[in-house]
Amino acid sequence: MVNPRIVSKLKDSKHIDPDFLLEVRNLTTVFQTEEAEVKAVDNISFNLRRGETLGIVGESGSGKSVSALSIMKLIQHPGRIENGNIFFNSPTKGVVDLRLLSEKEMLFERGNEISMIFQEPMTSLNPVFTCGDQVVETILIHRKVSSKEAKELALELFKKVELPRPEQIFNAYPHEISGGQKQRVMIAMAMCCNPSLLIADEPTTALDVTVQSRILDLMRQLRDENDMSIIFITHDLGVVAEIADKVAVMFHGKIVEQGSVWDIFSNPQHPYTKSLLACRPRLDIKMKVLPVVSDFMDVNDHGVISEKVNHKYGSVGEAILLNFTDDDEIEERNQFLLTQPPQLEVKNLKMYFPINKGIFGRSKEFVKAVDDVSFTVYPGETVGLVGESGCGKTTLGRAILRLIEPTDGQIIFEGKDITKLNKDELRKMRKDIQIIFQDPYSSLNPRMTIGEAILEPMRVNKIFDTDFHRKKYTIELLERVNLTKRHFERYPHEFSGGQRQRICIARALALNPKFIICDESVSALDVSVQAQVLNLLNELKKDFNFTYIFISHDLSVVKFMSDRIIVMNKGKIEEIGYAAEIYDNPKTEYTSRLIKSIPKGDLEDIRKAQLQRHLKKLIKSQQ
Amino acid sequence: MFRYLLYRLLYGLMVLLGATVVVFFIFNVLPGDPVAMMAGQRTDVSTREAIAKELGLFEPLHKQLYLYMRDLSPVSVHEDSEQEFEKYDYKKMLKVGDNSYLVLKSPYMRRSFQSNKRVSEIIWENLEGTFWLAFVAMLFATFFGVLMGILASLKPNSPLDHFMVSLSVIGISAPSFVLGAIVAMVFGFYLSEYTGLNPTGQLWDVDLDGRKLVWKNIILPAFTLGLRPLAIIVQLTRSSMLDVLSQDYIRTARAKGLYYYQIILKHALKNAMNPVITAVSGWLASLMAGAFFVEKVFNWNGLGRVTIDAIYNLDFPIIMGVTIFVAFIFIVVNIFVDMLYALVDPRVRIK
Repeated sequence: MVNPRIVSKLKDSKHIDPDFLLEVRNLTTVFQTEEAEVKAVDNISFNLRRGETLGIVGESGSGKSVSALSIMKLIQHPGRIENGNIFFNSPTKGVVDLRLLSEKEMLFERGNEISMIFQEPMTSLNPVFTCGDQVVETILIHRKVSSKEAKELALELFKKVELPRPEQIFNAYPHEISGGQKQRVMIAMAMCCNPSLLIADEPTTALDVTVQSRILDLMRQLRDENDMSIIFITHDLGVVAEIADKVAVMFHGKIVEQGSVWDIFSNPQHPYTKSLLACRPRLDIKMKVLPVVSDFMDVNDHGVISEKVNHKYGSVGEAILLNFTDDDEIEERNQFLLTQPPQLEVKNLKMYFPINKGIFGRSKEFVKAVDDVSFTVYPGETVGLVGESGCGKTTLGRAILRLIEPTDGQIIFEGKDITKLNKDELRKMRKDIQIIFQDPYSSLNPRMTIGEAILEPMRVNKIFDTDFHRKKYTIELLERVNLTKRHFERYPHEFSGGQRQRICIARALALNPKFIICDESVSALDVSVQAQVLNLLNELKKDFNFTYIFISHDLSVVKFMSDRIIVMNKGKIEEIGYAAEIYDNPKTEYTSRLIKSIPKGDLEDIRKAQLQRHLKKLIKSQQ
Repeated sequence: MFRYLLYRLLYGLMVLLGATVVVFFIFNVLPGDPVAMMAGQRTDVSTREAIAKELGLFEPLHKQLYLYMRDLSPVSVHEDSEQEFEKYDYKKMLKVGDNSYLVLKSPYMRRSFQSNKRVSEIIWENLEGTFWLAFVAMLFATFFGVLMGILASLKPNSPLDHFMVSLSVIGISAPSFVLGAIVAMVFGFYLSEYTGLNPTGQLWDVDLDGRKLVWKNIILPAFTLGLRPLAIIVQLTRSSMLDVLSQDYIRTARAKGLYYYQIILKHALKNAMNPVITAVSGWLASLMAGAFFVEKVFNWNGLGRVTIDAIYNLDFPIIMGVTIFVAFIFIVVNIFVDMLYALVDPRVRIK
């Protein structure tokens, strides 16, 4: 059934291809700010066929989420869709232009023929209703069923998305289940009316890699079963390679390049795509320096992109080849490190947190966040600490600094047992060990200029005699982390995430520490910014001969940074070994699962995946 | 849930004990001769001594505190005698000594210096007026406050929003005695022809046929009393709603295809109510404590008026009794609210 009123707007489509699902044409969405109109999405066009998956890749602020919300017409004041058409082949209405539909007609589409899942499963479910109620609600809006039937449908969906104990989860509130489970509930909610189009906005970004890979499996499976199309939005090219057929790369609101996954990965044309591909830390080889976006392209003041003329690297392959660290170099370094006495020795460290406090404050049960952990770190070494969320890696990092009091065990730093220091000695010791936290947004005081923030620890620890000298050194430090003197008087909100993290690094450097603990220091940053910060950390290590403990959930980042890697699981050490060794021959099943779950985005995998997709389609069409 | 309740009750009891001790000491260091006040013009030494003994004034301070606490406690040990029985009106539970019993009684808050009436009786007589006044005022404030708050939050920075916010600022800053006088003058006097209201009045109209309930008399005092909580509830609801409406789960609700009113009334409101419940209950408790000025202005019989009169007369037992009673009301309301939180927001239930 085709609605003639609306199809007539589709000027050049005399024959509608039955497999046609969505065409976005010249879509522009603007946001009115006090100063000016900002084009969050700038004249983008793409199309999607039934059963196809489009990956939209870009960094934060590139407009990828806004494009998705524009399709759903969920853009709120002060934003609005300024221009363009969104043609959608609705199973009930025929081809319609979503932009011309009334709000009431859109209510019919949302959650029904087009549904959406979001990045943060933690906050995307309403905390005051049970998971079951929220799914049933969606079913009741769009399907004419009784609430009893709706409950049965919901339970069926919960089984389909492989939730364990569906009945229990049906009655559970969102805070009572894990992040992965919440995302499954979200998927069940999105799937409940068999949508033709599923828009997934960073659905796996907040999840652990192993959970991510299982969620991706589930999405692929649901897509193939229901012949559904997916728009998959992500900043991670590796994830795109796993699930998408086509890729659109977004930068500053524009699509700079689009094509099949194979083309984008094997032969990227646009310098931005090239740099995105090159700046991801790789698992297979160790690079000296990560290529960054500015190695490939320039953006002038008007936002016009140009490829660098005297570029450092001609292609992604070249960038990798020029940076390769060979095995002999690694071996030599490892040998050298071992000749020195260890700088930090952690012996049988335990960190227990009480749960279930009784009436008199006596606790009967404990969470063993760090359970009998021992390891050593040599001067100048970088030790990576990886594991999934909740494995105890952050707790371990904080216990070493005695930011939290360890339950038991020894921490010997340069011959002194940290656990036995008194308050004064501890303060002196903290000067030598610094920590850089995960979230650069909340770890800087918003009411303090960044100059003050860096200067303050120097004043507390009486480094330099006068503020004049301290200020001079602060400016030196700012320049060291690629900021300038002008930034001294500014406040944190004026800086981007990457800049803020560099300020945090400068603050840590202010005390001339010997030892730095990086706690997920790059996890909140975009890949290209992440590359810059990682390079900076490596340079500083060379210049000041720091020792690092590098904590991260991202195995590829840890592998790029570290000499040795500690894999943690449930508070215990799974294995310790040299970076390459762990990656090539993981000794435990847990480690190999962790490695296998990482989306790699290498060409061989993409070819295999695409071939499989093709075969499945062929078989389906012949049946 | 039950454990949580038990814990809260225990905690409340501790607070009540603390409040009693503090109240006791405060009133013991205040000037004034209770004996002279009770005895009035009679200056007979033996009468004075009898009164002082009855009040326990010869005992050391800690003994006096103990006696006061014993009087207040619903479970205590007393000698069984006619005198004691007349004083406490107890029920014997357990024999603990020769003539001593563990008894159950209603808290004995002693007697007024002035009228020699039991304080508990005085509180009880005046509680009804205060309770209804506070209750109606809060009902009015909550209903209109939440409604206006929601309306203001739907279109932030619109003229309607600005209007509501300015109105609530006036409501917060106007003192209740000024407002009370104006309201009474305008609606109870100048416009009484149209409104049919009296500038002052009681809940019960006593005439020859007996008592008659006059609900219309509560309108003006309740309106005056409710204005300030109303203003605060408007602002709280507004900011809490604005916060909730920017949450991710509201976006999820929109992506489901829910109608706008469903999103507001179902998904947003339940989340936004927590701070409002705190405010409402806190205000309810403090209005119960007696809306001193409003009761005075409208000549309304209630705890507030009794307390003010007692302060004029330095009638300590009444002031102490009312203070402890108010502390008790606060504690009860707070426990009730904690339970309500757990009902509205499942995240509070763990702990």
